[in-house]
Amino acid sequence: MLKVENVTKYYGDFKAVDQLSFTVKPGEIFGLLGVNGAGKTTTFRMIMGLLDPTEGEITLNGKKIDYSVTDQIGFLTEERSLLTKMTVKEQCLFYGTLKGMQEKDILSKLDHLLEKFEISDYKEKKIKELSKGNQQKIQFITAIINDPKLLILDEPFSGLDPFNVELFKNEIMDMASRGSMIIFSSHRMEHVELFCKKLVILLKGKPVLSGYLKDIKEQYRKKNIFIKGDIDSKKLEQIEGVLEVVEHGDEWEVKIESEENVEDVFAYVSSCKHMTKFVVEEASLNEIFIAKVGESYEK
Amino acid sequence: MKSKLNYLIGISLNRKIKTKWFMIANIILAIVIAGIINIDSIITFFGGDFNDTRNLYVIDETNMAIPLLEEHLKANSSSLVEEGKEYFHVVKSEESFEELKKKVEEDDKNILVVIKENPETVLEVSVVSNSFMDSIDFQILSTALNNTKVSIAMANSNIPIEEINKIYSALDIKREILDENKKSEDEGMSMIMTTVFPVVILPFFMLSLFLVQMIGAEVNDEKTTRGMEIIISNVSPKTHFFAKVIAGNLFVLIQGSLLVVFAAFGFLIRHLIGGSSITNGLGGEVSNVLSQLLSSGFGEKLIYIIPITLLLMVLTFIAYSLLAGILASMTTNIEDFQQVQTPIMIISLVGYYLAMMAGMFKGALFIKILSFVPFISAILSPSLLVLGQIGIIEILISCLIMVGAIYLLIKYGLRIYKVGILNYSAKGLWKKMLKALKN
Repeated sequence: MLKVENVTKYYGDFKAVDQLSFTVKPGEIFGLLGVNGAGKTTTFRMIMGLLDPTEGEITLNGKKIDYSVTDQIGFLTEERSLLTKMTVKEQCLFYGTLKGMQEKDILSKLDHLLEKFEISDYKEKKIKELSKGNQQKIQFITAIINDPKLLILDEPFSGLDPFNVELFKNEIMDMASRGSMIIFSSHRMEHVELFCKKLVILLKGKPVLSGYLKDIKEQYRKKNIFIKGDIDSKKLEQIEGVLEVVEHGDEWEVKIESEENVEDVFAYVSSCKHMTKFVVEEASLNEIFIAKVGESYEK
Repeated sequence: MKSKLNYLIGISLNRKIKTKWFMIANIILAIVIAGIINIDSIITFFGGDFNDTRNLYVIDETNMAIPLLEEHLKANSSSLVEEGKEYFHVVKSEESFEELKKKVEEDDKNILVVIKENPETVLEVSVVSNSFMDSIDFQILSTALNNTKVSIAMANSNIPIEEINKIYSALDIKREILDENKKSEDEGMSMIMTTVFPVVILPFFMLSLFLVQMIGAEVNDEKTTRGMEIIISNVSPKTHFFAKVIAGNLFVLIQGSLLVVFAAFGFLIRHLIGGSSITNGLGGEVSNVLSQLLSSGFGEKLIYIIPITLLLMVLTFIAYSLLAGILASMTTNIEDFQQVQTPIMIISLVGYYLAMMAGMFKGALFIKILSFVPFISAILSPSLLVLGQIGIIEILISCLIMVGAIYLLIKYGLRIYKVGILNYSAKGLWKKMLKALKN
């Protein structure tokens, strides 16, 4: 289990991370969210042992993270961390060997992964000759080639088309099912929502929201109602608890303060003609993120 | 730890050696070095008039100038031609001035000299050529004519020919040096070495430049691609630092050895083709210096000068590579690195020029003090040792100072490297580095 306990990191007088705590168990996918400069990369660097926390402790299976355990960790950085003059094979051999793997094992795993990601033809090509998306695939392969117990993914879907996002998603899910701990960071909330059961939202280094996604959504009282039919949006807006009515083509989205307001909305809608849809949904993570980060910014 | 260090050294070395540019650069170097050593043969192969004898048509109205002129021309040009050949072939001509002028017009190798008696200046000489004369040709001719004038003047003053020969014979100087530690035979060698040494250390200077550039480029390549994050998350900055330093030095040793092989190859070619006809060229010069070294006893000194110079050079290479690694870790791209390493290279260049000028400023305390300064000492100290301005003790002190500098570079440089290697911003750089030094 990865345990981050009350971790604080200062750069001079600047507090980059402030009292951050979370745990990731084997098989869990954990989301670390935040706007740019929130402290995500610093947190990843501390987990990787590249930076020492000013306060607090980070342990992997009860042991402080140092070079004796980094062979069990896979790391995909936000920027391309590939040596572009190397070929795909040389690059994977290089990073794989640094992870303590034998050349024979790296090559057999590499062939398997290249085939899985449908880029077997690029094995002898130089990294700089590859497209952005294929470079990202190679970077992902170098991060998982050692079957890491802990996998850190900083913006893994950057530069990928939807088809390749699906390939990555399947591999990440597969790794989690095999017991890997995965920490995941992305600006795309729909990806986080898809993968992560647990998450923490950072703002200026400080956690503003953390816990299980399910609990977070439940705690966030605001709901959305999706309606199709002949309604008068002005009348809807006058109902108590209705925050906003937004038109999306032939559909209306009604944002309400809490679940208790559903009945009043339903009562009005029942009186309208040609009603074909009335669905109550929880707020999206994106909405919660914007609301929480926005609130904290205002504070 | 050890295997990852070895692996990183291997990777780093392969990235430099297993490239087509390394191959191409070395092929060019081999051709250039072999070419320089055999430059005279190459020039001869493509032809030219340097090997052809100039015909000197002389109208001698004094009736005594020609034999003297011939003798002086021979003496002045003997070093430029092979034995038995003439640089100027003197032809006493009975033809008229106009006829000879025509001959000069027909061929650039023909030169006409008219020598007349003159009561005021002893001789009056006209030199006619079709075009500009080569400066060396003119210098030889004018010197020979002047000497001829002096000889005729002395003969006219009734000085016997035996006396004139004595006047022109080379002076035998007996040299005595009171310092028992300095042999008079070494004096000539010191002068030769003052000229030869800067040429010998030029490859060292080039290799140190190469080393600094190479380490800087490699570290910055890993930094700018962010590959450094992955590398440093798997090996410590210390391992990474030493891997770069060791790989850089191994590369320089390989490249240095290749330069020696290329030079040997050049001399082998020279030996096989038998050198050139106009001069003994560079190869001949080296053979000449070597034979003088062996005969003078100066070679005995080289037994300790060469190893101690090599030791100092290796220590300096290590110091350069450490410094290059530290500077590269502080910078965020290769352009910044180029700027930050420039002052160090200029200091080294100053050392190189001082080594060349050491003979001119014999005994200068300032130069002696500079010969102990790390990065300069590897170039300057051996020069001063060859010149006899410093002794073995002083050069050993230079080595010890270099070792001390290496120790300090490792101790404090590693602190900077650990912080700098993952730093991607120039903002507050010096503050960060000073803080790293204090920690």
